[in-house]
Amino acid sequence: MTRTPQYGPGTSVVAMNRRKQMDPNHTLTKMRNITDEDIVLLLGHRAPGASFKTMHPPLAEQQEPDCPMRQLVKPTEGAKHGDRVRYVQFADSMFNAPCQPYQRTYAEMYRFRGIDPGTLSGRQIVECRERDLEQYCRLLIETEMFDPALVSLRGATVHGHSLRLSEDGMQFDALQRCVLGGDGMVRYVKDQIGLPLNRPVEVGKPLDSKWLKEHSTIFHSLVGTPLRDDREYVEYLQRIHMLRTRYGFMPKEA
Amino acid sequence: MDTATDHPQCRIVPMRMLGPDTTKRLLEQIVVVPGIHRMLLNGQNIPLLVPYGPARGTENKTNLRKTIEVAGNAVDLHVQVGSITLEVENRKVIDTFRKICDAFFVDFPYHIQEGKFMKTHPTLVDYARYGPGADRNLIGLVDPKRKDKPTLISISNERVCGGYEI
Repeated sequence: MTRTPQYGPGTSVVAMNRRKQMDPNHTLTKMRNITDEDIVLLLGHRAPGASFKTMHPPLAEQQEPDCPMRQLVKPTEGAKHGDRVRYVQFADSMFNAPCQPYQRTYAEMYRFRGIDPGTLSGRQIVECRERDLEQYCRLLIETEMFDPALVSLRGATVHGHSLRLSEDGMQFDALQRCVLGGDGMVRYVKDQIGLPLNRPVEVGKPLDSKWLKEHSTIFHSLVGTPLRDDREYVEYLQRIHMLRTRYGFMPKEA
Repeated sequence: MDTATDHPQCRIVPMRMLGPDTTKRLLEQIVVVPGIHRMLLNGQNIPLLVPYGPARGTENKTNLRKTIEVAGNAVDLHVQVGSITLEVENRKVIDTFRKICDAFFVDFPYHIQEGKFMKTHPTLVDYARYGPGADRNLIGLVDPKRKDKPTLISISNERVCGGYEI
């Protein structure tokens, strides 16, 4: 019997968007192009063109123990080369940003391998081998999971998720890593930790509010889809709440 | 000096946070209204230096933090303004603000709240903290021990009562 994963409950557009992002068989719409060099600049872990630093020799040069698990789980490219572990962190505005921290972790766990995500209410960090990280970043920035105004790369000083937007529609950033130009383009002038870049990195134009509302993965009663409109989702949440309240972390239904 | 407890207070809250230039344009219209006692700009701090992470301590280059000129007075704005709280002479002044804001906020909505947003009397804790000599106009607005003092906006105009504080 084949099993079709549900990924999540709900009948609303928000629930549908969440499922789309989580389903690895669903191809996310590509919204913009970003070069390899731009990704390297934004991450700020190595200089463009510099080789990847390693923390152990490539696996091919090592004497691997005879382990069935190692034969079963194929290493990622970064692990094969012995890359060091690096991170990227995103802050997502609650004003209909296309991805949200918890959703980001779910989606990444379904789509990527060899990652270690850390999820907080307003930001999400993911750690993995540097080579893999750059590949994953490409998907996270180029596709519909990113909006130049409401999602931003922030290694530190991340505050902005729950704040009102700036008057130009950008998510608040105390370090102003990206700026909205007069031509409507958003350009990063600092890397994710706040160090100025030698040249600005263009990440495209902010998406309009209609598109954002249709592609958002957060319920918002004022600017988006209210949670209470999705009865199936409410029912699911109430069930989880009841099970956890009654049985702690080992829920058993009668 | 005793601050009058009956003076009405209001808070202007735009739906978007204001940049320095917009704040300047709004304040230019607000501060000339006669009857403002005290004014406080609230918002998210824009740090001078990067506060956290590997870049900690480096200069935070930004155009969100700058000195603006309001009615000929330099105001060192170090927040992205989210709300403007005012204590005024009477409710008519708040109605004037409402008219100004109706005309000013055309790209996004705002609302004016009336209530009590600033302390009018020091509490026992304030007394313990700052002593009997603390400026009662500042208690509850800023730390009276801060080195940078509030800006006094003086309007060289006969019809107003001398000056306003930010």
